[in-house]
Amino acid sequence: MVLLPLFGGWGLFFCMKHTIFIFLLALLSFTLFISCTGDEECRKEKYVKLGVGFYKKTFSETTKKYTSSSISIDSLTIQGIDTAGLLIDSLVYNNSKKISKLYLPLNKFVAISRFRVTFNETIDTVSILHSNSDLYLSLECGCLKVHTIDTVLTTNHFIDSISINNHNVININAEHLQIYN
Amino acid sequence: MMLSLVVYSAQAQDKNRDSIQAKTNWLNGITLQADLASLVSSAIDNGESYSLEGGALINIKNKYYPIVEIGFAGADKTTAENINFKTNGLFGRMGVDFSLKKSKPNAKVSNNLVSAGVRLGMSNFAYNINNIVITDDYWKNSESKDFNNMTSTNLWYELVFGVRVEVIKNIYMGWSIRNKHLITKNAAGEVFPWYIPGYGKNATSNWGINYSLGYKF
Repeated sequence: MVLLPLFGGWGLFFCMKHTIFIFLLALLSFTLFISCTGDEECRKEKYVKLGVGFYKKTFSETTKKYTSSSISIDSLTIQGIDTAGLLIDSLVYNNSKKISKLYLPLNKFVAISRFRVTFNETIDTVSILHSNSDLYLSLECGCLKVHTIDTVLTTNHFIDSISINNHNVININAEHLQIYN
Repeated sequence: MMLSLVVYSAQAQDKNRDSIQAKTNWLNGITLQADLASLVSSAIDNGESYSLEGGALINIKNKYYPIVEIGFAGADKTTAENINFKTNGLFGRMGVDFSLKKSKPNAKVSNNLVSAGVRLGMSNFAYNINNIVITDDYWKNSESKDFNNMTSTNLWYELVFGVRVEVIKNIYMGWSIRNKHLITKNAAGEVFPWYIPGYGKNATSNWGINYSLGYKF
């Protein structure tokens, strides 16, 4: 409706000269329109990680309850163990200092991920049983492999227990497991 | 009462004076048109996408122009990571254009038109997405995924601004700019199509340009 007064005098506008002008304008905008549809690249995260936090349970004499508090590990080394029971060549963490949270890659094609975790001098083996599924992101990004944690098993040398805080591993910054010393 | 009588007599005089005035006609012809812009963009686009479309519109009282557009479009796109998307399908749109020209009682009816309009578009089509490679850098493995014979139905609306000119008797040329908005939404995780025939790239909104050549019957 706002446009209406603008076009009030368009009877005059339609002489040939103006018609040519309009069509040239159309051609120009058409060329611009085509040339600005550039190529795209993926701008999303294409992997997910299992987030783990370290805690210690302390018993309070006054409240008669357990409270958990975050702790940091002085030295931490983590290495994956493949399905044949062999250690993966590369280390996820190599003698990393003062770690209170860590992020692990889960196996995208096998439903179990096992890690050898070295806390200072003490070694534990943590096995995470999970299902894997594909999440389509876009043509530019392809698919993301996401996981649902089923069960977590551990040896108990340094680790007291592990609780599953969040079963769905769908991003890179959530805390899924809590390891208690 | 007096005023309406005066207006009435003035209109009656107009009719007598200018019998070619078609304003009182309810239906003023059917125009069939083909879109040339889609041919040009198909040629420029290296086969990444292509489109052919045409339409039919009727002129009601030189004010309202109901229009039906149908076409065939497709895409064959390979990304930098070698993922391939392929589709083709029919699409249809229907809607109406409204003349933006103020009608003057004494003006000779012009066959030229400046218009604003709306369209409702629909396309139902099948598509394939091939060679999505997923690699596991740590645990060392990779697999390739294909999604074949996926189907999708999409609805969208378009806001259209256009100009149409009679260049030779009964031959019309016109262009229109369209702002397209997708009504149907992709669910999270759905393997949605990259391109929608008649709509273009699958985004919440799109721009389109048509350049039509038509014949009025």
